[in-house]
This record gives sequence, C-alpha cells and structure tokens, in this order.
Amino acid sequence: MLEGILQGLTTAVTPINLLMVIAGCMVGTFIGMLPGLGPISAIALMIPITYGLEPSTGLILMAGVYYGAIFGGSTSSILINAPGVAGTVATAFDGYPMAKKGHAGKALAIAAYSSFSGGTIAAVLLLVAAPSLASISLTFQSTDYFALMVLGLTAVAAFAGKGNVIKAILMTVLGLMISTIGTDQTQGIQRFTMGVPDLIDGISFLLLAMAAFALSEALMVVLRPKSDADRVKEMNAQSNLGSLKLSKEEVKEMVPVISRSSILGFFVGVLPGAGATIASFLAYGMEQRLAGKEKGKLFGTGSVRGLAAPETANNAACSGSFVPLLTLGIPGSGTTAIMLGALISYGIQPGPRLYLDNPTVFWSVIISMYIGNVVLLILNLPLIPYIAKILSIPSTILTPLILFFSLIGVYFVSFNTFDIHLMVLFAVAAVGLRLLDFPLAPMLLGYILGGMMEDNLRRALLINNDSWSFIYERPLTLTILVIAAMTLVLPYIISKASIWFINRVEKNMAK
Amino acid sequence: MLTNDRIGAVILLAFSIGYGILIYDIPLLPFQAASAFTAQTLPKALSILGIILSLILLVTSRNQATPDIAGFKWLNGVLICILMLIYGFSVRPVGFLISTSLFLILSEYTLGERRRNILIFSTIPVVLFFWYLMSELLGVYVAPLPEFLMDMLK
Repeated sequence: MLEGILQGLTTAVTPINLLMVIAGCMVGTFIGMLPGLGPISAIALMIPITYGLEPSTGLILMAGVYYGAIFGGSTSSILINAPGVAGTVATAFDGYPMAKKGHAGKALAIAAYSSFSGGTIAAVLLLVAAPSLASISLTFQSTDYFALMVLGLTAVAAFAGKGNVIKAILMTVLGLMISTIGTDQTQGIQRFTMGVPDLIDGISFLLLAMAAFALSEALMVVLRPKSDADRVKEMNAQSNLGSLKLSKEEVKEMVPVISRSSILGFFVGVLPGAGATIASFLAYGMEQRLAGKEKGKLFGTGSVRGLAAPETANNAACSGSFVPLLTLGIPGSGTTAIMLGALISYGIQPGPRLYLDNPTVFWSVIISMYIGNVVLLILNLPLIPYIAKILSIPSTILTPLILFFSLIGVYFVSFNTFDIHLMVLFAVAAVGLRLLDFPLAPMLLGYILGGMMEDNLRRALLINNDSWSFIYERPLTLTILVIAAMTLVLPYIISKASIWFINRVEKNMAK
Repeated sequence: MLTNDRIGAVILLAFSIGYGILIYDIPLLPFQAASAFTAQTLPKALSILGIILSLILLVTSRNQATPDIAGFKWLNGVLICILMLIYGFSVRPVGFLISTSLFLILSEYTLGERRRNILIFSTIPVVLFFWYLMSELLGVYVAPLPEFLMDMLK
C-alpha cells in the first residue's frame, strides 16, 4: 500500500498534473459559482478537453474541477443565497445570514476551512478504506455485481426523499430504457434504432449528461431570466466581503464540529445513492441538537457551527462517494456517474481490478483529491473576491457560451452533427421534466448502471446454464438483493409505522 | 387537476407504452429466442415496470404542485433552440469559426444584448482562442472555414 501511495504521489506532483489540479480547481470554482451549474455540469464540460490527456492527468483535472465546483457552489450559496447544487443548500442556512451581517469574508473562510478539513479527514479514510474494500470485492462474481447494481439503483430511490420515491424510480427506469437504445452487446441485435444509422452505437453518455444537465440548465436561465433586483443583490454581495480572518474562539468552536461532521459525511457518502446533500442536512441537524438549547437557537441566524457542519460533511461525502466507484465500479451519485463515464471512455474499467491493474491511476486520483483541497485553501480563498466578479457577468453573454461549450463538447468527441440535434431534443425534454419536478440524476445513474447490469446478468445466466437459480443459491448475491429490496420497502414501512405510532400515542393522550 | 406529478405520469406512461410497442421490432433469431435472456427481455421488463409505476404515480399522487411557469420567456427559449439546431446544420459546411461566431452573436442578440462592441468582442476572440486551443494545443482538428475558402487559402 505504501508503495502505491508513493507511486500516486510521484504521479500527482509532476508539474503537468499539479498544473491540472490548480487549473481544475479554478475552472471548477468558476463554473460552480454560476447559479444552476453544479459539479455534474462542470465535469461534463471538462470531458472533451481531457480526451487529449493521459488518463491519470485527465482524472486529476476532473477531481480538481469537482472540488472547485463544490466550493464555488458554497460561495454562491453564501454570497447570494443561490445554491448551485442541492449539496450546498444547507450551507446557505447560516452562510447567507452571516454574509448579510457583513461577514461574508468570514463565512467564506469558515466554508473553506471546513471543506478543507472535511476533505482531508475523508481523504485519509479513503486511503484506508478503498484498498481493503477493493481486495474484498475481488472475490465478487458477475451474479454479485448484478445484485450490487440493483442495490445501487434501489438506493437512489430510497434516498430520494418523501413523496419522491416513485418519481425517482420512474426516472431510473427511464434511464435504463435509454441505455437499451443501440446495438445489444451480447447478441449484436439493434434495438430501438428505428432505422436511424446514427443510433446504432447507442446514445453516448456524454451527450445525455450534457443535455440533461448543462444544456437544460442554460435553457432554464433563458426561459427564466434574472430580475434586476437579483442582479443588484449580486453586485452588492461581491463588492463588500469583509475580513477573511477568524477569531480564536471561532476556531475552537469549529474543531469538534468538523471532526464529527467529516466522519458522518464520509460514511453517508459511501452509501450508494445518499451523497453530499443528505450528509450536509444530517450534519446540520446533528450539530443543532448537540449544540444545546441556547446555541441551537442561533442556527439559521449566522452560526459558526451551522455553517461549518454542512460544509464539512458535504466535502467529506464527496470523497466518500469515491469509495464505491473506485472499489466496485458502481457510482453512488450523479457526479461519480460522470466520473465513471469518463473513466470508461479512457478505457479504464473502475472496480476491484483498477487497484491491481492501474495502481497509478487509483492512487494518483486519491492523492490529487487531497492536493485539490490544499489548492482550494491556499489559492482559491484569497482569490475569491476576484473570482466572485464572475457573478457580475451578465447572463446574456454567459448563457450563449455555456450553450456553445455544451454543444461543442459533444461534437468534438463524435464529430457527428446528428448529436447536436439529438442534444437539443434531450435538453428540451429535460427542461420539461425539470419543470414537472422530476429528478434527473437518477436517470443518469440508471443509464450508466443499466448497460452494466444487463451485461452482468447475462454473464451470470451464461455461467449458470440459463438458470435463474443463482439468485438464491449464492449467499452473497441473495444477501445483497435482500438488502436492495429492504432499501426500497423500509422507508415506506417506517413512515407508515411512525404515523400509526403517533396516532396511537395521540389516542392514548386523548383518553 | 393537472398537477406536476400527473402530467409527468401521463407523459412517462405514454413513453413506456411506445417503448413497449417498439420492442416487437427487435429481431430475434430462433436459437436466440429460446434462451432465458434475450435482447427483448430487459426492455420488456422495463416497459412493464414503467407502465405500472406511472399508473401508481397517476393514481396515488397527492402532491398539488403545478408547473411554475409564470413570466417564462417562451419565445426566447424557442429561438435559442432553433439557433442551436441551425448551428448543428451549419458547423460542418460553413466551418467552425464562422458558424460558431454567428451562433454566439445571434444568441446574445436574442437574449437582449444590443451593444455592438460587446456582441463582437465577447464572442469572436473566444471562438478564435478556443479553436486554437483545440486544434493547435490539444490536437483535436476541426475545419475552421468553409471548404471553398480553405481551398483558396491553400
């Protein structure tokens, strides 16, 4: 393991790779700060550029962009109360009130320190957890993988939140349907191509991701332009940031919060489907309870703890979500789904073999995630006042550029103009689904996992002479499938049971 | 009431049914059709799942939210989509530099930018720089100008 770490370190600190981390963090912060554009869009926009690079260099760039985009999202949450992504919504609870009091600089500094510490602790955990999990998962067979994919898909729905479970499953099914378009891998039969030759290869992952996220987000800005009042708010926010320094008491208050939240965040991040959003809300809730009555009341009014907790957990969860990706090859979130797509396009199959076959890639990604954290702290934080100027670029100029980068990103990979037209079609559909409040990330996850799931299922059936008995004959497969079924059913049962319980208590009270 | 959930459920129901009908276009050879898992198996399962789930959503949804489209600039959205489609048709015959510059300028104009200097200086330098970055530095070549101009320059 030590050898691997050193190997990763030597790869990560080569000048070109260091440059990529720095550039990635900068670009990521820049994109993440734009309202609406989150890490998924930021990474998707980077993929075409990384095609010309070495796999590890490309991945390092994307890891930097990822961290930068999250940091940028926090910045826009704090400065203008407009979280770029769901993961930074909880940041705005205390960050924005703090900024309104004139302590925007301090809020940004707390966010940066918390992200840094959360990322650091999580990177250490990742360093320990990933190799051991990878060696266990080497014993997995295609039947187990099939079961794991099913678990990944059901987990998405389980964490979708109240009232959204069916919608999330429906969107996952939609993603699975899209993944079946094109030539069937095992038997070489065309499916759903409707005689269009451009569809024989299927719909590219990049096209779907760009259309569903970057392009549709830009179209939403076109449809719903910002009002003048919002623009004035943004101008004011970035003109007076205040001091970036923290007092000793504030640091003292932050330390225990950060250590608790980072561990919580990491483990929530490891769970497939959960991710940064849930981690940040959980950490916020936990700290509010732990703070006691007096200090708990300060939450929501600009509390240091209330800002540090979600920011730490959010970043730690991002590192955590790399564990299932790197060890099992299963993405747990929309962002890691994008990373998976990028890895596959490099010809690298993430999973337990990655650790053995491409140790350089494996370790350099982990190490560069840490370097990314350092870069954010020492480079991005001081530059924030300047980067925040981006918020004052009018959307009349910015939106066409985002449209252009999305379209050309896909075109520069396939050189097929049909893709541009298909993207417009998908983006319009995605705008429709957005307006109807249907979540798009499960669709992307369904699309990515769909092809893999079908392949593994077929392989499992071939090995078992076309018999479905492997589902109950192999204990590991059965266990994972049972867990998958439970993740789907349990939230429903728990909510019903709690309603029943509350009703009973109320009846007893009435008596 | 036409709520978000119901509209979405109906659309996805229609999609699932359409998808299900297209499954019969997937050709199977006799020996393939006999195996436990064919190219049609997963699509069939997905189509049924999609139909059941959208029906459940249609019937059980109690969410009363309706699409929030007040103040939407539909015309701008449609125009931008048309510009993107035209861009798709023009990027190859007209060449990257001209078609992209026109796309950006017209999009900015559509979104309300009228200052001539900004229209020109926020677009053309970006296009030139991006083309240079991709073609010269990263080795991804795309024809910059229409063919006849390229021939004349040779």
